[in-house]
Amino acid sequence: MTEDYEVEFVEREEREARFVVRGITPAFANGIRRAMIADVPTFSVDTVRVVENSSVMFDEQISLRLGLVPLTTPVDEFEIGDEVTLSIDVSGPNTAYSGDIVTSDDLVQPADDNVPIIELKDDQRLEAEADAVLDRGREHAKHQGGVAVGYRHLQRVEVVGDKEEFAKEEPEILRGVIEDDGELVATETFDNDLTNRYPGKEVEVHDIPNAFVFHVETDGSFSVDELVTAAIDSLHGRATELKEAVQL
Amino acid sequence: MMVPVRCFTCGSVVGKHWEEFKARAREGDEDPDAVLNELGVERHCCRRMLVSHEDLVDVVSPYQ
Repeated sequence: MTEDYEVEFVEREEREARFVVRGITPAFANGIRRAMIADVPTFSVDTVRVVENSSVMFDEQISLRLGLVPLTTPVDEFEIGDEVTLSIDVSGPNTAYSGDIVTSDDLVQPADDNVPIIELKDDQRLEAEADAVLDRGREHAKHQGGVAVGYRHLQRVEVVGDKEEFAKEEPEILRGVIEDDGELVATETFDNDLTNRYPGKEVEVHDIPNAFVFHVETDGSFSVDELVTAAIDSLHGRATELKEAVQL
Repeated sequence: MMVPVRCFTCGSVVGKHWEEFKARAREGDEDPDAVLNELGVERHCCRRMLVSHEDLVDVVSPYQ
């Protein structure tokens, strides 16, 4: 990268964030998005050994549900293909939750404790052992760390004059984040309709070149910060690999 | 039968909100729209997962 780029947060929480990146090309922005979805590995249950399952669901259905439960994944602690054994043992009448999963490694445990796995009636029981595997989103969607990751152009709003007296009152719907006098404003603050912000004004909206607003959510495997940095590291790693491979 | 763990469309974990949603909007008398907003289930793909779900374990279990 020869040009400078800058990052500015609009919203920042553990599992959800919105930030503006300036000075990157559309191709690079898309590269980051794709890396966040497909290249950042997370742990997910892959093999289940059922000891007893007298619930109303088949073993396969229970296994699918276990596979979809997000597991915390410390970045750089494990390698792709590493396995961690988990187990669950719940007897009815009770509901088996993701929080009932017992882990053999405290670094890898369910990110949420209250996802219902299966409701058990009297005399029903679920006992199973499962292997969680670290893999990438491109292998299976259950390994995706980023959820609903996307970006939009940052847009600039310009007031060009007043509306004509009997002009049609049409809504001017915008979504995402706009830049107004150098200030970043989320469109939700004016109900996504520019006419609420500038009543009776004629406005023009332009895309700002090479400025993108990313919206990133994670499934709880790691924080947004870890996801974004891991995605960029993976891009960087592949770029270096390519550079070395084509050197004479 | 049981509430889906994740949203079919976007993959966010919706299962964790089910019990609260059920207690407040189904069995309670709160407005489902307000409850979902409060739970942070914003996208309509995730909302339909909870709104349209029906627990069937009680219906199926006698035939086990």
